Amino acid sequence: MIYGDRNTGVIVTGATGKQGAFHIALMNEYSRQVGGKGVVAGVTPGKAGQEVAGVPVYNSIRDAQKEHDASASVLFVPGFAAGDSIMEAASAGLSLVVAITEHIPVHDTMRAISFARIHGCDVIGPNCPGLLSPGEIKMGIMPVHLSCRGHVGVISRSGTLTYEIVDQLTRAGLGQSTVVGIGGDPVIGQTFLDVLRRFEEDEQTRAVVILGEVGGSLEEEGARATDLPIAAYIAGISAPPEKRMGHAGAIVEGGEGDARSKIARLKKMGVPVASRPSEVPRLIREIL
Amino acid sequence: MKLLEHEARKIFGEYGIPVPKGFVICSPGELESRMGELGTRFVLKAQVEVGGRGKSGGILMADPSSGKQMAEELLQKEIKGVPVREILAVEYLEIQQEYYMSIAIDRSTKQALILFTDQGGVDIETLAKEQPGAVRKASLPLLMRDIPPFMVRDLLGKAPKELAKVMNQLYRVFCERDALLAEINPLVTTPTGVFAADAKLIIDDNALSRQGITLNRDLTEREREAEKHGFSYVELEGDIGVIGNGAGLTMATLDLIEYYDGKAANFLDVGGGADQERVMHAVRLVAADPTVQVIVVNLLGGITRCDEVARGIISAGISQQVIVRLAGTNEAEGRQILDGSGYRMMESMEQAVKAAVEAVK
Repeated sequence: MIYGDRNTGVIVTGATGKQGAFHIALMNEYSRQVGGKGVVAGVTPGKAGQEVAGVPVYNSIRDAQKEHDASASVLFVPGFAAGDSIMEAASAGLSLVVAITEHIPVHDTMRAISFARIHGCDVIGPNCPGLLSPGEIKMGIMPVHLSCRGHVGVISRSGTLTYEIVDQLTRAGLGQSTVVGIGGDPVIGQTFLDVLRRFEEDEQTRAVVILGEVGGSLEEEGARATDLPIAAYIAGISAPPEKRMGHAGAIVEGGEGDARSKIARLKKMGVPVASRPSEVPRLIREIL
Repeated sequence: MKLLEHEARKIFGEYGIPVPKGFVICSPGELESRMGELGTRFVLKAQVEVGGRGKSGGILMADPSSGKQMAEELLQKEIKGVPVREILAVEYLEIQQEYYMSIAIDRSTKQALILFTDQGGVDIETLAKEQPGAVRKASLPLLMRDIPPFMVRDLLGKAPKELAKVMNQLYRVFCERDALLAEINPLVTTPTGVFAADAKLIIDDNALSRQGITLNRDLTEREREAEKHGFSYVELEGDIGVIGNGAGLTMATLDLIEYYDGKAANFLDVGGGADQERVMHAVRLVAADPTVQVIVVNLLGGITRCDEVARGIISAGISQQVIVRLAGTNEAEGRQILDGSGYRMMESMEQAVKAAVEAVK
């Protein structure tokens, strides 16, 4: 597993909102199953003293840290406030922020990521489903029943497409080490490259699936720099240029980042690329 | 959102970036009454949000004798399918040299990317490919308040010093206006000084409210409906309607349709929490497109309730066939509800897509 394990204490920011409360309950249901620490505290400014899904709420991360031991935070705050929450977590000394939030202004994301880097804090997301290390820890909103523990790492810019692939891997008997949703925004914290570096250091991970999509070139940048066995699927081969396909970052701009050229570049590096999601398990078997 | 040239140049002007004298008109009469302000030669520029206006006849040279007639013709034109409603009339510039200057977002470095070249007026992507050395670039973390002077010097090279101020002000615009792209192409020198002869500004959709901007896009009825419900919706040219949850899965569904030689009519991502109400609206919206022959619904989620989705599909009450792939809680109930109503529920997205492609053959 990477980024955390069952001993990682998690603080949820935006705990008292509908999403925050709902997912604190689900995350802790999972942590009880696997015997992990789970979400130890929630933070919503002005709501100290409340309790959400059995978890105490504080006004700030620093207040929560006085009572609880935590090294990561998961954000469910609205877009306009998310940049601030990332910086608060970094400034408080947490080593990881998982930003689930969608619709963060991209300048806020860029500033918050720069700020977090200065404080030695990694940011996953924004606009992501978080991560899941089956049998160890869930930080985010991924459904757990589709996954099982194993040796395949998954890195994805998407949410539900990740679940689709995880389901297919599990059905094919290919368990996962850690599944990381890095987010669908144009600017994100941890990229394919950063997560691949972590997987390289992770003894459990033997092969990695890269789930990319149109827009940018982060998939190729990651693939080029690793010697781990990887297989890829790139969504958006049918995406017309200059149209945003749901994700803020899923857009072919100025002739850059289209699926066909991305796939061609990956294949040139020797990375097997699935032409449909159902081919991924076979490709992984072949490189394992 | 991409601003129109006249909106962008107004903002550039507010930041002290010199722009040529000019005004916006909606009718030939308006031009006639004000054309005296522009001198003996001027330029009429169609205000449309599509690129490549010049090549499509959207930029015309005019003089006081021809101006009214040309404005009239331009206002009746369509540029790449977009009707011309407004014209920016600007003074003619005696151009000595054209430059290109832009600030954009660089996904790889997560910083601002500043580009500059003394070969302005061309398509920057083509130039960067053909003569990579001709375009100078630098990355700047957005935590920086100004562009450091060394960076400005490196970027400008031998270009006139007046351009330094423009570059710094363009960075201010970029930062303060939540821009995804701030571009001047061409930035020109004339005997009377430096001017931004064009202005392009794309504002982050997620920052429109704090920028006090309301979307003014021309939307089709179905696009408006999608916006109302918070669906991501893109119209395409095929006959298979697509509804999915999550952008990646929906895109993958479209790709699979293409893989099996079908053609998708649209991309529709219902987003999270697909309940009966949302699914019903989504199905009705896609079905309202007359080119849609069959609809594939591909929903996968831990918390999506299949019985809710099934009821949503049925309550939409549409005439087209709907092929459904559902995975989540209460799958068996969902299947039962659909089976009883004559809709087809498939085990996998692959099966659902195959069935849809078969159905339109």
